[in-house]
Amino acid sequence: MNRKLLYFLVSIAYLILISYGLYSVYTVEATLRVKEPPKIKLENKIAIAHTEIFGKLERPQVIFNHGKHEEAYKKEGCAECHPEKDGQVMFAFPKNLKKKDKTAVMNAYHDACIDCHKKSAKKEKTGPVNCGDCHKKQEKTLVVKYPKAEFDFYVHDKHVKKLKEKIGKDDCGLCHHSYDPYEEDETLRLVYEPGTEESCYYCHELGKKRGPELTKITKAAADKGLSIKEASHQQCLNCHLKYREDYLKKGEKDACPTECIKCHTGEYRTLVQLEKVPRPDRDQPKRPLINIKDAKLKGVPFDHDYHQIASKTCRSCHHETLKACKDCHDLTGKPEGNYVNVARAYHDVFSEHSCEGCHNVKKAEKDCNGCHHYIAVVEADSLGPKDKSCGICHSGEIKGAFSRAPLSVAGLDPQKVPNKVKVEVLSKEYEPSEFPHMDIIKKLVDISNKSKLANYFHKDMQTMCEGCHHRSPAEAEVKKDTPPNCRNCHTITPEPRNLDKTTLLSAYHRQCMGCHDKMGIEKGSSVRFKDGDRCGACHKKKVAGPAEITRLKNDNVVKQNTKNILNVWRPK
Amino acid sequence: MDRRTFLKIMGSGVAGAATGNLLTPGRTPASEVPLGKEFYGILVDTTRCIGCRRCELGCAEVNGMPIPDIAESKTEDILKTLRKTSDTQYTVINRYETEKGPVYVPRRCMHCSQPGCVAACLVKAMKKRPTGQVTWDLNCIGCRLCMVSCPFDIPKFEYKKAIPRIQKCNLCWDRFNKGALPGCVEVCPTQALMFGTRKQILEEGKRRIATNPDKYVDHIYGEYEVGGTSHLYLSAVPFEQIGFRKDLGTVPYPEYSTGFLYAVPFIFVLWPIVMLGMNRATKKHEEEKHEEKHEEHGKH
Amino acid sequence: MAGEKLELVDVVKQKEEGPQIKSLGDFWTFLKGQLKPRGNIATPFNIISLPIMILGYIFIVYRLATGLGRPVTNLNQQFPWGLWIGFDVVTGVAFAGGAYVLCFIVYILRAEKYHAIIRATVLNGFLAYLFYAGAIVLDIGRWWNIYNPMIGNDFGVNAVMFLVAWHFFLYMIAELIEFSPAVAEWLGMKRLRKILGGMTIGAVVFGICLSTLHQSGLAALMIMAKNKIHPLWYTEFIPILYFISSVFAGLSMVIFEGSISHKVFGSQLDEAHHKQYDDILVGLSRICAVAMFGYFFLKIILLVHEHAVPYLFTPMGTWYLIEVIGFVVVPCLMFVSGAQKRNTSTIKFAAVLAMLGIIINRLNYTFIAYNWYVPLSEKYWPAPMEYIVTASIILTEIWAFRWIVNRMPVLREAPAWARAMEKH
Repeated sequence: MNRKLLYFLVSIAYLILISYGLYSVYTVEATLRVKEPPKIKLENKIAIAHTEIFGKLERPQVIFNHGKHEEAYKKEGCAECHPEKDGQVMFAFPKNLKKKDKTAVMNAYHDACIDCHKKSAKKEKTGPVNCGDCHKKQEKTLVVKYPKAEFDFYVHDKHVKKLKEKIGKDDCGLCHHSYDPYEEDETLRLVYEPGTEESCYYCHELGKKRGPELTKITKAAADKGLSIKEASHQQCLNCHLKYREDYLKKGEKDACPTECIKCHTGEYRTLVQLEKVPRPDRDQPKRPLINIKDAKLKGVPFDHDYHQIASKTCRSCHHETLKACKDCHDLTGKPEGNYVNVARAYHDVFSEHSCEGCHNVKKAEKDCNGCHHYIAVVEADSLGPKDKSCGICHSGEIKGAFSRAPLSVAGLDPQKVPNKVKVEVLSKEYEPSEFPHMDIIKKLVDISNKSKLANYFHKDMQTMCEGCHHRSPAEAEVKKDTPPNCRNCHTITPEPRNLDKTTLLSAYHRQCMGCHDKMGIEKGSSVRFKDGDRCGACHKKKVAGPAEITRLKNDNVVKQNTKNILNVWRPK
Repeated sequence: MDRRTFLKIMGSGVAGAATGNLLTPGRTPASEVPLGKEFYGILVDTTRCIGCRRCELGCAEVNGMPIPDIAESKTEDILKTLRKTSDTQYTVINRYETEKGPVYVPRRCMHCSQPGCVAACLVKAMKKRPTGQVTWDLNCIGCRLCMVSCPFDIPKFEYKKAIPRIQKCNLCWDRFNKGALPGCVEVCPTQALMFGTRKQILEEGKRRIATNPDKYVDHIYGEYEVGGTSHLYLSAVPFEQIGFRKDLGTVPYPEYSTGFLYAVPFIFVLWPIVMLGMNRATKKHEEEKHEEKHEEHGKH
Repeated sequence: MAGEKLELVDVVKQKEEGPQIKSLGDFWTFLKGQLKPRGNIATPFNIISLPIMILGYIFIVYRLATGLGRPVTNLNQQFPWGLWIGFDVVTGVAFAGGAYVLCFIVYILRAEKYHAIIRATVLNGFLAYLFYAGAIVLDIGRWWNIYNPMIGNDFGVNAVMFLVAWHFFLYMIAELIEFSPAVAEWLGMKRLRKILGGMTIGAVVFGICLSTLHQSGLAALMIMAKNKIHPLWYTEFIPILYFISSVFAGLSMVIFEGSISHKVFGSQLDEAHHKQYDDILVGLSRICAVAMFGYFFLKIILLVHEHAVPYLFTPMGTWYLIEVIGFVVVPCLMFVSGAQKRNTSTIKFAAVLAMLGIIINRLNYTFIAYNWYVPLSEKYWPAPMEYIVTASIILTEIWAFRWIVNRMPVLREAPAWARAMEKH
């Protein structure tokens, strides 16, 4: 090849390289968009991956249609694939798995699945035997996640009733049991004692930190691999399998379900729906007076009946066991209670299980949060006179504790508590705002009266004012009977030395819009709504607005600095 | 070597050193900072911003720029795309959808404590005022190195004009000298913008985080980024989610070029000496004799 | 003297002695004579370049009238520097680096081998800086303020750009002084020639100092764009990279332009010079090969130092490898091979590749690897007017070069009296 041709070809090669290089550079997308792995329709499918054994998978996961297999083996039953023990089906797979290493597990699955497919291929349409037909590439990134099945009080009640129907009496021992870790004979550790029935979660919710006693039991459960998933599948499904035929014969097709999606529906009942459902009877006190021995403050009347209905599960308060709080938490703290004393047990503001803590969480709900977001969470020792703060609960007697009179606007003097308030002091671009003062008070009163918690703590109308009229001391209010106007404290012009102090404009907007935001009231909030004008919700824009909205209009910076351009020796 | 050559070499060396020292950046010792002059800045609390865009309106009004239409119907469409400041808008609001709902973020010049644009300007058109504002001046030659040097890509050039300017927020330098607040701070209805000395606003930012740990991410953007800026941001969500770069480092940008600038006197001193030395060293025999002849000639 | 019929002897004597300019009138007649075109006007080169140049001048006027926005340039707020700064100024300055390298070799190291091409190279360097300073005036937005950094409105001494601007200015003066002996010979001013000859070494030393700093200074301009330039290219040592690459960029340009000059102006050179030229090419290619090897090695060190090796496997990495392997390593090897085998066509091809590599490298820092993460719709690609104006500036420079070479003793031998002066 002569020189010239060589140079020519090399030049062409370089030209191609440059073009390709520039093209790939100009079209580089620097931002990586991480796509969420697609969720599939559940339809009783299970993802078999076992990443805890295999680590990073060589082949894609297998999406296994359990429903189809269940349908196919209806006659033969679960024992066809699953091992049995003492007449109970253990929902482990594969049937015979001795070792838990990579090769053993893989072979066990392959033997169980492929062999079975090969066998039934002779008779009917059956599953795949080739690798890629189970380990499908397109299913590599699919996520199979079943929602938690909630065994709420409604379902529990149904089970109780159906059981009584079937066997004629209450026998909680069919499901409930307890574990005695101190029993020497291992086989006798699982016992049932009537009157000690508790939630399965106490012992079978592995991974949650528990007290010393309960940890012994959870450890035993963990050793046997009895997580809440395994325990509930074993307990519930076996019972369902036992009684399903009977109910089918009666014509109740939906009784004793064994399909995944029948229990893992993802739909959960609300508190309102569960209100009328009777709670399990454990001889619990209805309305006790909680008295702590040697305590300094008076006892607290406690409406246990109401609180039962106000929670979805007993475990919201009885977090370790179904005993009374003071059984583990005493005045100074003891080991059973993890050395948490009774003061903290009842008053810890950030706990989910204490009285104050739970009340705090309730205050964050939409209806309450408008005011309570801005009212600081109170520490037990911070408020003034003890009878005004602690005395609200520590009354020492049950009389009158469980029925508080509802609040009413009837007693308000319209002169002192105006119906509408015209907010016009700042109006420049917008018309004055007509603030529906009385309507708001009425609404707040309604909300308060509907909630037993609110009604208990809002003992007089004054508390309704505190949400907005927030810094006026109670004494001043009592004297003058009218809370001050916003502009009494919030100045219009900002303080030069204290620029973070809320000005009047921002006080109006942050207070009003903030409350609407927190309460989820779309009109008047900062949330944009379609075709809506956020500002117009409270004040209409003036047809002829002001010429400028800023005070002290600036001369253009450029004009300001127009000096002699040839100002060579500019003074520093 | 004779006297003349020696003087030649020393002369060039001294000249070089002098030029070099003239050209290397000076540093102001702390004792010389004028009393009472502190950097001023703005604390931007994105949890308070409701995206009404009145800051854009106020800014346009005080700076004589086209007034943007901030009617809610228009704003909804405008906020669908992320915008940057432009040669007619010193500040823009952007909306980011996060797990805590929509977050509105006003972006403008950060008024860095040690700005890259000021270090880049060869005519000192970009100045960092003693009170913290970074302003542009008319002696600019339009080289646009400030645009290259800004980590936030803030200075904007008026390409469409025959007499172009560099446009960016100047923290209302003129209004400040008249004792007024910046335009955006004045018109904000929720006090999402707080103006004060950098010390004041930093303290306030820390106070807000300390008293509301659930509300804010424990970081003030601009406290240390690129050596500290005068616009400080608070956020309820991690800053990457609302359009802030986390990879800018804490080294002030001018520090990157000081290394090179300090080399100048070295080059001007060393190079002439080395080269004259080489020149003399490579001299051929006849030429040396020639020179000596000339020297004698000269002496007489 | 003009207008009279001259005898052949007189013509030769005149050529040897130079024009006897004793008054302004003499100078004016002399200049008018010089302005007459030498040779054929309607060459293919002239026919193609003249329309482009005129179109370019029109566009320049348009740019001055309407500013830098579309359609003049495609510059936007994300890409403030484009073809004019990136190619005309930054790359052009790198190519003009041949002047200071060759001056160093000829005047400092006294390698007489290259003496034949020194004047042409210095002339090229001077014209390059002159025209590229013009390109700067064109590109900066407020060009009427261009004297501000010179007169002190204000001296931004903390700015790298200030240093670069002053160095440009001073270097132009230094190069003018270096080239001015040729002008003195052209004008026949003996005394002036003597004075300027004595200033040469000073101007050379000064010029080399200035060159070192402003070649690396052009890189230091980008040093504050730390987070906007792709990690494969950005390092705090880019001034050193620019400096080393200016060595082989300049010399490659010398090879390229020298080869063309030799063909076009071959009539001015005698046999000895033509033979010598091959030696010169081989020598230059050796220097280039060494510089390129050093440059490549430095690039590897910096790649590792900046932990940028994983980026090699991205699209930007492909482009980086094309630039470094295709346009640095390959020409380096070609230079080595060409020098060993004394094959001038390999050397010339390698020079072209090296120059393309420099263009790619400088443009990378200006707008390709700068703000590289910006979506395609906001990216910058030069506008047609930018190309035309760039072309017209380069063509004007070539016309100026041709004018000077045809009249002054650049490629041809200096007159006898000047040669005699040099010996003393």
